[in-house]
Amino acid sequence: MEFYTQSGLVRPVRLSEKTRQFAYDSLHHKYGLDTRKTDAVALDGIPNFEDLTPLEQYDIAVREICQNAPIRICDGELISGAATLGGAIKHVVPATLNGEYMCGSISHLTVDFDSVLKYGITGIRARAEESLKKYAKSEREPFLRSCLNCLDSFDIWHKRYLDALKDSPEYADNYRNLKKVPLQPAENFYEAVQSIWFTFAFLRLCGNWPGIGRIDYMLGEYLENDLKAGAITLDRAREILAHFFIKGCEWISGGNYVSGDAQHYQNILICGTDENGKEVTNSVTYLVLDILEELGISDFPTSVRLNKNTDEKLLRRVAEVMRFGGGMLAVYNEDLIIDAMTSYGYPLKEARSFANDGCWEVQVPGATDFQYMPFDSLALLQRKTLKEYAENPDFPDFESLYAQYVKNLSDEVTHMCTSCARNFYPADVPEKERRCKTADPCTLVSLFEKGCIEKGLSYLEGGPVYCVRSPHIGGFADTVNSLYAIKKLVYDEKKLSLSEFIEILKNNWEGEEALRQYVLTHYSYYGSDNDEVDMLASRLLTDFADICDSMDGKCGYRFPAGVSTFGRQLGWAPQRLASPHGRKAGEVLAANCSPTPGTDINGATAVIRSYGKCNLRRMVTGAALDIKLTPSSVAGEDGIGALTALMRGFVATGGCFMQPDVLDAAVLKEAQEHPENYQTLSVRVSGWNARFVTLNKEWQDMVIAQNEGK
Amino acid sequence: MKITKIQRFCMHDGPGVRTVVFLAGCPLRCSWCHNPEGQSFDTEILFEAKKCINCGACAAACPMGAHSFAAGVHAFDRDKCISCMKCTKVCCTKALEPSAVDMTADEILAFVEKDRAFYGKEGGVTLSGGEPLAHPRKAIELLTECRKRNIGTAVETSGYFDASLLSELVPLVDIFLWDFKDSNDTRHKEYTGVSNEKTKNNLLLADSMGAKSILRCITVKGVNAEKEHWGKIAKLWKSLNHSLYAELIPYHAMGGSKMLLLGRPDNGRPDWIPTQEMMNEAKEYLSALGVRVK
Repeated sequence: MEFYTQSGLVRPVRLSEKTRQFAYDSLHHKYGLDTRKTDAVALDGIPNFEDLTPLEQYDIAVREICQNAPIRICDGELISGAATLGGAIKHVVPATLNGEYMCGSISHLTVDFDSVLKYGITGIRARAEESLKKYAKSEREPFLRSCLNCLDSFDIWHKRYLDALKDSPEYADNYRNLKKVPLQPAENFYEAVQSIWFTFAFLRLCGNWPGIGRIDYMLGEYLENDLKAGAITLDRAREILAHFFIKGCEWISGGNYVSGDAQHYQNILICGTDENGKEVTNSVTYLVLDILEELGISDFPTSVRLNKNTDEKLLRRVAEVMRFGGGMLAVYNEDLIIDAMTSYGYPLKEARSFANDGCWEVQVPGATDFQYMPFDSLALLQRKTLKEYAENPDFPDFESLYAQYVKNLSDEVTHMCTSCARNFYPADVPEKERRCKTADPCTLVSLFEKGCIEKGLSYLEGGPVYCVRSPHIGGFADTVNSLYAIKKLVYDEKKLSLSEFIEILKNNWEGEEALRQYVLTHYSYYGSDNDEVDMLASRLLTDFADICDSMDGKCGYRFPAGVSTFGRQLGWAPQRLASPHGRKAGEVLAANCSPTPGTDINGATAVIRSYGKCNLRRMVTGAALDIKLTPSSVAGEDGIGALTALMRGFVATGGCFMQPDVLDAAVLKEAQEHPENYQTLSVRVSGWNARFVTLNKEWQDMVIAQNEGK
Repeated sequence: MKITKIQRFCMHDGPGVRTVVFLAGCPLRCSWCHNPEGQSFDTEILFEAKKCINCGACAAACPMGAHSFAAGVHAFDRDKCISCMKCTKVCCTKALEPSAVDMTADEILAFVEKDRAFYGKEGGVTLSGGEPLAHPRKAIELLTECRKRNIGTAVETSGYFDASLLSELVPLVDIFLWDFKDSNDTRHKEYTGVSNEKTKNNLLLADSMGAKSILRCITVKGVNAEKEHWGKIAKLWKSLNHSLYAELIPYHAMGGSKMLLLGRPDNGRPDWIPTQEMMNEAKEYLSALGVRVK
C-alpha cells in the first residue's frame, strides 16, 4: 500500500494497517463512488409545496434529506457521520422538485465549530429559542423558526446514526461519543473530533462546503488534558484524527470536474498565536503533520500560520512534510495579516483568531459572511485605458497614463461595490435595522455563524458580525509589467511613440519580433527583485486598496482588498489582447500575486522579495504567491534547509500567503499520458488541491507550464 | 572586478542558502571545466545561435564586419572580432552576450544583501569562479566587507594561489570548498595544465591555520576514478584536522556546450561520466578508509 509522492521520498508508517487501508480505499474512490449512487432526495408529491415560502420549502428539503439520505458506516471507522448525497458535491442543496435542484448552497466560510465544542448543539438551540422570543411576530421570526426546524431535522439524522450504531460492539466508542456530541459539549479529545466531524458532515450532507479552521487551536486543549490524565496515548490520538482526514476524502471521486476533484473548500489552519498572542502549536499540530506526511491526503489543504518567532523545530517539521509535494501545506505570515486586519479596523483579538474561508482568503472564522469579487485588471488596461488599441491615445507622459488607469480601476471597483451595496439597506438606517433586502435561504450555516441567531438574520441577510465583499484584483503582475514596459520603452528610453507602440500591439506584435524580444529579455519584471518595477507594483496595490477603502460606510458590507486569479487566468486568456510586456494575444498569464510565467529569472528568493515589496498589509483578505519547486531542489538535508529558508525569508520580507508545491514536470507529463498510474497524484491549484488526473487538459497544461517556468 | 554571474538561492555551494559570486579568470585549464566562460581574465562574447532571430542589428553595429548573414544563417567570425562588445549591446534576444560584466565591490555587496533574509545562521556568500583567489585583493575586499556586515563567507577554490595570502584569508572565510582534482601529478598537469603541489601545500597550510574545509573531488571515469587515487585522497583528508568531509562530484559534460558559446569546439566527454554505481563504490571505499564522505 503506497501513498503517492512527487519527490520519491519514502513516507513513514505510524498508523495501523487498518487505518492505512481505510485511507487507501477512500483515496481510491470507494466512498466517492458510493456517494454517486444517490444524488438527491425528491420533494415531489408533498401537498401544497409550491404555495410555501422559499424558507419553508428549504426547511422541508433539509428535513427530507435528514430522513432519507443513506446512512453510511465505513468498515472500522473511529468516527461516524457521512455526507452521502452526490448532489452535495455539485454545490447545491441535494433536494429536487420535478427533477430540478431547488436551492443553492453556501461555501467560502469557516463556521464556528468552537461553539459547537463548547456549548453543543443544545446550546445553539437555546440561543435560537431565546432569540425567537425576542423577535416573535417580527419579520425576523420566520428565520428563527427555520433555525429550530433545521435543528429538529438534525436530531432526526443524528438519531438515525445512533440507531445504526447502537447494537454493534465494534462501534461502541462511536455510539457512546455520538450519544453525547455534538448535542452536548465535548469533554475529551475523541469526543471533540467526533463533534466537529459530525457537524461538518451534517453541513456537507445538505450541500454546504465549510472550511474547518484552526484545528489545533480547537482540539489542542482536549488532547493535552487527556495526555496529562493518561486517558489517551499520542498513537491512539493520531489514529482518531487520521480518521477525520480520511473521512474527508469521501467525495473522491464522486463527480467530474474541470478544475479538479478536491476543491470543496475544506481548508485547515494550524499554528500561530491565540487571541492573547500566545503560540497555539501543540500536540495536535504535530499529529496533523504526521498524518499528512504518512497518507498524503491533500483534501484538507492545510496552512501553517508562521510568525517571526516560529519555533525552529516546527519549521523543520513543516519543511519535512512539504517535501513530499502534493501541495498539502501552505503558509501564512500572521505578523503581516494581523497587522493588516487591525489596521483595517478589526479588534486585535478577532484579528489574531483569523482563519480562512475554506480556500485561502483571510477571514474571522465563524463570524463572517464572505464573498470575493474577481476582475481582470489587465483587460481593464487593454480595453478601457488603451481603448482596445483602436484609438490614438493621448498621454504626454507616464503619469497621465497611470492616472487614467487608476480612474478606470476606480470606476470598475466602485461599480462592483455599489451593485452589492444596493442589496443592503443603507448606512443611514440604525445599525440594528440594517439587513439585506433579498437572500436565498441558508439557515444551516447561519446556525454556526456568530451574529445570525442574535440578530435574527441569516448568513446572507447580513446576520454575521462581519459582512465582507472583497474586490480581488486579477492579472496583477501582467498589469504592472505592461505599465512598466510602456514606461521604459515609450517614456524613458523613447524608442518609439505610444501611438506606434499601440499600433504594434494592435497587430499582435506581427513583424516586430526584434522589439518583442527586446521587451522580453532586456527588462526585468515583477518577480525578479527589480526595485523599479516592484515600486510600481506596490503603488498599484496601494491605489487599489485606497479605492476599496473609499467604499466604506455605504452599507453593511465592507470591501477589503485582495489579490487573486485562482484559475481565472485560463478563462481570461482568450479575451486578452497582446500585452506591452511582450506577450501575444490569448496567452495564459500570471496566477494570483505570482509573477508572469517565465519572468522569475532570479529564482525563488527574488520572487518572494518582489512580492514582499507590494505593500501587502493593505491586502486585507490576502494575496497568494505560488512557488513551484522541483524535487531535486528539496532533496536531502539541503532541501529541508532550502524550504525553511524560504519560509523564514517569506515572513521576514513581509509576505502574506505562500503556496509552495514540489512538482516534476516530466512526471506530470507522464501522468497525462497514463492517468491510470497516477490516480492519487495531487497538485496545488490555488487555494485548493486537485488530483492531477481529474483536471481537464487545459488545466493540466497550465500546471505543467508553470512548473517549467514558461 | 569582472563577474561572470551572481546566482541566488544556491543550496549546494556551502552550508545553507547562498548567493554565489563567480569571478572571471582562472590559471587552470581543466579539461572537465564546467564554467569555461570563467576561464578568461578578459570579457569574451558568448554567442548562442539558437536564440538569434536574424534581425541583423549586430552586423550593422559591428565596426569589423564580424557578423554576417547568408541564407538565413548568422555567422560570427571571431578572428575579426576586437571585443568592442557593440554587438552585445544591440542584440534584442541576448543571443550575443558578454561573458562577464564589471562590477564594483559595492554593487556586488548590494546584490548579496538582497537575500539576507534567507541566509539564516548558516548561509551567506560563496566566492567562486573562475578562480576567485586569482584576484586576491578583490576577494579579500569582498570577504572583509561581508565579515563587517555579518554575512557568512565561503570560498570555492582550486587552491592554486600564492601561499602568502593565507594568513590574511583564513580568518575571513567560514569555510573553504577546496577542489582537489587529481592526486597523480602527471595526470594533474596533463588535464589541468598545472601541478597539484601548490594546491596540496596550500590546503595543508590552511588547515594548520584552522581553516574549515570541504574537500571536493571531481570524479572522472577513465581518468581519476580508480582506487589508487581514492587511497591518496583518503590519506590527504585524514591528514587534515578541520575538514568536515570529502565530497565526490561526478563529471558532467555540460561544460562542452558552453565551449560552443565561446566559439571553441565542444570538449564534452560523455565517456567520462561515471556511473552511479562507480560513485557509490568510490564513496564506500573512501568510507572504509575512514573518510567522512558525502
